[in-house]
Amino acid sequence: MIKHYNCAKGIIYKELLRFFKQKSRFFSALVRPLLWLLIFSVGFKSALGLAIIPPYETYITYETYIVPGLVGMILLFNGMQSSLMMIFDREMGSMKILLSSHMNRNFLLFCKMFATAIVSTIQSITFLIIAYFYGIEMSIQGYILVIPVVLFSSLILNAMALFLSSVIKQLENFATVMNFVIFPMFFLSSALYPLWKIKDSSILIYNISSYNPFTFIVEFIRFTLYAKFDFTNFIIVIGLLIFSLLLAFIGYSSKNIFKKGNK
Amino acid sequence: MNRLELKNVNFKYDKNLVLNNVSFAIPNNTFFVLLGLNGAGKSTIFSLLTRLLNLQDGEIMISGSHIKEYQKALSSIGVVFQEPTLDLDLTVRQNLYYYGSLKGLSFKETLVSIESELKSIGLESKLDVVTKELNGGHRRRVEIVRALINKPKLLLLDEATVGLDVKSRFDILKYIRQLVKETDLSVLWITHLFDEVENSDGLAIIKNGSIIESSNVSHILQKHEKSSIDDLFDYLTKKVHK
Repeated sequence: MIKHYNCAKGIIYKELLRFFKQKSRFFSALVRPLLWLLIFSVGFKSALGLAIIPPYETYITYETYIVPGLVGMILLFNGMQSSLMMIFDREMGSMKILLSSHMNRNFLLFCKMFATAIVSTIQSITFLIIAYFYGIEMSIQGYILVIPVVLFSSLILNAMALFLSSVIKQLENFATVMNFVIFPMFFLSSALYPLWKIKDSSILIYNISSYNPFTFIVEFIRFTLYAKFDFTNFIIVIGLLIFSLLLAFIGYSSKNIFKKGNK
Repeated sequence: MNRLELKNVNFKYDKNLVLNNVSFAIPNNTFFVLLGLNGAGKSTIFSLLTRLLNLQDGEIMISGSHIKEYQKALSSIGVVFQEPTLDLDLTVRQNLYYYGSLKGLSFKETLVSIESELKSIGLESKLDVVTKELNGGHRRRVEIVRALINKPKLLLLDEATVGLDVKSRFDILKYIRQLVKETDLSVLWITHLFDEVENSDGLAIIKNGSIIESSNVSHILQKHEKSSIDDLFDYLTKKVHK
């Protein structure tokens, strides 16, 4: 047990060291959602009227609406960035050090995902603090409860990203993933606009967005920030975590990784 | 009990057979060289030994444990990969801590376990240097010391001297040989460089995925009446080709 503790500690230690040494990574991860919050939302708030929908009990501003979605954005892009680093690590060889350890491979991968989730959580909290000073306040309870929820949500997205990194053979293909996976995942969700708004314009897009895993994650964060709990959504995100972890573990089994051409 | 034993190992990438009935054994306290040209199958063997690839057919035993019981088998090995595997943004100490943790050691235990190795290889004063500031030879030394963190019984090195100048190459070789002499370590040294082989070493020559000779170097030289490794290699590989 102590060996597993030391192992997890080392992986998290390295991820945090990398994070604090690459300050540009921290700022670029914050700039993206802040641009949406401070600039994009200003232009859109007059165009988009929002009705009262759960978890909200009154009319809210557009900036308030998009904050949980922007937290989701940080997690999504961070997860994908970590996956990009995994491909880089695999190409450079340092991934081999991790995977040739005598520790259980799934445990090692879980620690790696958890370490990235900690980094994403730090960034999300920083973003929420900035949003607070911008005037978007949540309840104290919400701020406390959202920390484990963000960590949990980040694990799901990191596991999905890890699976993607296992099927991408070369770093150059990552741009394709950005265009065909990350952007559709983000825009076809409730991150920037409520689903009923989408339904008014397109039933097809509404249906796709309703089943998008990212929508469930954003709603999980949204409800938690208002200290509310949606049981059905919770069960779905638990299912998403199990499914995405399985995909990541299968993707990084010895059978599938480091094949010739994958080296 | 041999430190490493491969028995009738076959391996295919899709339909291409890249290892064909590979068998050899490394006894305790031996410097053993796996010699072959590029593409012969050396790195595939290395990936099987480090479990980056799954064993498909045959048997691999490390210190008496089957590779499929990897938690036991891999706990007694140290590994130096052909590609650089240090995190260049971190210091030597931080890199060592990270690797030690992958072996289940605490940060303190990690440094204690390689105290003497750090001294003898001249890295003691470089612990807090950022790795990217080290030259290629020093980076390789760090990787070698790192591989000794868990006090392995078997050290695996894949083309560990590639890209280094002649002095660094032979300094590293000398250090590893000294370790074999002074401790009960066994070494699998994978290379394509003939000048890295000595007469007292164990040797397996691999060509096109098959082991064409395996024994003690002096014994093989005597058997084929050759005076040097390059003559022997040339003779054996041509003979197999015919």
